[in-house]
Amino acid sequence: MSPYDVLPRFRAQFDANNQEFSISGVVRPQAIDELGPSIASLRDAIGRVRGVLYVNVRRLTQMNNAAFHAFSRVILDACRARPDLKFVVITSSVVGWTSRKFGRLSGIEPNITVQEYDSEFYPGQGFLEEGGFVPILRSQTKMTWRHERAILPRHGMRHGIVMADICCGIGDFAVLVQKEFQPSRIVALDHSISSLTYARQVMREFDIRGIEYTYGDASEMLLDEAQFDLVTCRHSLQIFNRPELILKELYRICKPGGRVYITNEKNSHCLGEPRAESIRWTYNEVAKLFGHFEMDVELGPKSRRYLMEAGFEDIRVETFMVTNLDGDPQDFAEVIAAWADVYAGDMAARRGDGPEFVARFRQGFQDHIFAALHPKGYAGWPIWVASGRRPQ
Amino acid sequence: MLMEQGRTRMGPVHHELAGEPSFAPMIQIDMEIKAFVSAWRHCDYVSTYMARMISQNRSDSVRHSNLFSSAFNELLEVAFRTRHADGELACRVSRHGATDRIELTFPCVPEERQFYEQAVSQVAGTEARERYLNSVSGDLAPSREVVLLELAVDYNATFRVEEAEGDAIRLVVDLPLEGLEH
Ligand SMILES: C[S@@+](CC[C@H](N)C(=O)[O-])C[C@H]1O[C@@H](n2cnc3c(N)ncnc32)[C@H](O)[C@@H]1O
Repeated sequence: MSPYDVLPRFRAQFDANNQEFSISGVVRPQAIDELGPSIASLRDAIGRVRGVLYVNVRRLTQMNNAAFHAFSRVILDACRARPDLKFVVITSSVVGWTSRKFGRLSGIEPNITVQEYDSEFYPGQGFLEEGGFVPILRSQTKMTWRHERAILPRHGMRHGIVMADICCGIGDFAVLVQKEFQPSRIVALDHSISSLTYARQVMREFDIRGIEYTYGDASEMLLDEAQFDLVTCRHSLQIFNRPELILKELYRICKPGGRVYITNEKNSHCLGEPRAESIRWTYNEVAKLFGHFEMDVELGPKSRRYLMEAGFEDIRVETFMVTNLDGDPQDFAEVIAAWADVYAGDMAARRGDGPEFVARFRQGFQDHIFAALHPKGYAGWPIWVASGRRPQ
Repeated sequence: MLMEQGRTRMGPVHHELAGEPSFAPMIQIDMEIKAFVSAWRHCDYVSTYMARMISQNRSDSVRHSNLFSSAFNELLEVAFRTRHADGELACRVSRHGATDRIELTFPCVPEERQFYEQAVSQVAGTEARERYLNSVSGDLAPSREVVLLELAVDYNATFRVEEAEGDAIRLVVDLPLEGLEH
């Protein structure tokens, strides 16, 4: 027997605390009897809830019409039998057909509504998906690449591999990797449509081949398991309130024996001379500011623990410092100016910071720029690189 | 494994109709209908495999593959229910711009042929949507006609039935999936 016959390909379960019935996986039965226990569990759930039943199909990747009809019937019948009950179907914007198909139900019964699960569910997501970050990401990658191109081969990067870059942003890392290492295939995923549009445009204009940009949610990807030799996720675990969930997905899509490579910061360790004190104060505050939005930009040194807890082996950790001496100090200064714009601008405003705080906060960035451009100055931004192997 | 039973071709397969935009062939799988109907999971295998093969150069390969597999699987499930147990199943996919064309040739009995011709003409009708909604709230499990309706309503698919050699029918389905995204 193939694994296909043995493994259940879908799950249906009820969570009484959240009044939520969820269906996930691939549901393509030949006969409805195969769904018997799941249908019974849905009926049972309906009998037990009051007010609203959430039907979560976010992780449902496929469902044939036979199954759709069977589940829908139970819900439609319940609408007639229990007019007091409302149904909220939660779909994912990532799985293209779900919102359309389930959306039809609300045309039949007004007590059924369909909500597409989206960015608003992630704390702080707005800052990172909107346009403001694009210039920051560009210059950042340019600076980190000088280091990473030498580091990557120690973490599984090789010619001809199949790789994925998750949370790829505007795709410049994927492009650099493609040029330097020529993997046979790169799948690059992000949840920002504007970033992907930009990435695809670059790909067309520069006639780059071998990169597939895809819209998706890193915490539940449509990608099949065990297909990549190397999965990279750069500067991104640190922006999720539950990085372990993302890591679980990275692990899942990585081949046994393949590696997952992550980079993260520890913002409070940004440094500079002269004006070290002011710089230190400001970057300590950066860490707190991100903390306010449930993002941990101090994650870097915690990478080793996260990778271990996710089940990886042969974990390798190293750090590098991007500095004003790497290339043109002006690049470094520009990145800091962009940070100042977003952190002391939009983010501070949304936290409700007063003008006095913002002025001092900005000063630290200016001092960091001063250090970077000073003829005898030194300015640094440390990055933690870590990778682990998925056991065979 | 499926590919041992069937044959996959990825070369040019010429088939053109006068006055139509030319669809470039992408992939074709042929197999004995007997082998195909021997296991239900073949529908899922074939749809997933072909979806992956043809989606790699779409602007969003993963999303495209998911949508394509979803639609194609329904068609294969339709073919699976054929009452004619002899002959070949041929699945061919070709492409013209944003549209992918699935040509599914499979043996069927004369009544089935008639049924498909009628179903396809109804799918093209203006009340397709209403008919589909009625079926969702109805008691009966989705019929083959409803499956086609759903593809028309949710995927903007268009259909045509063509003659094929022997006791076979060819369903030609155009799926403008690339336009469906975002
Ligand atoms: C700090 S940026 C890093 C981008 C890129 N890796 C780099 O180093 O330049 C974080 C990225 O994560 C993306 N992102 C946020 N939430 C996501 C999610 N749920 N799924 C996939 N990507 C997400 C954002 O759109 C953004 O492009």
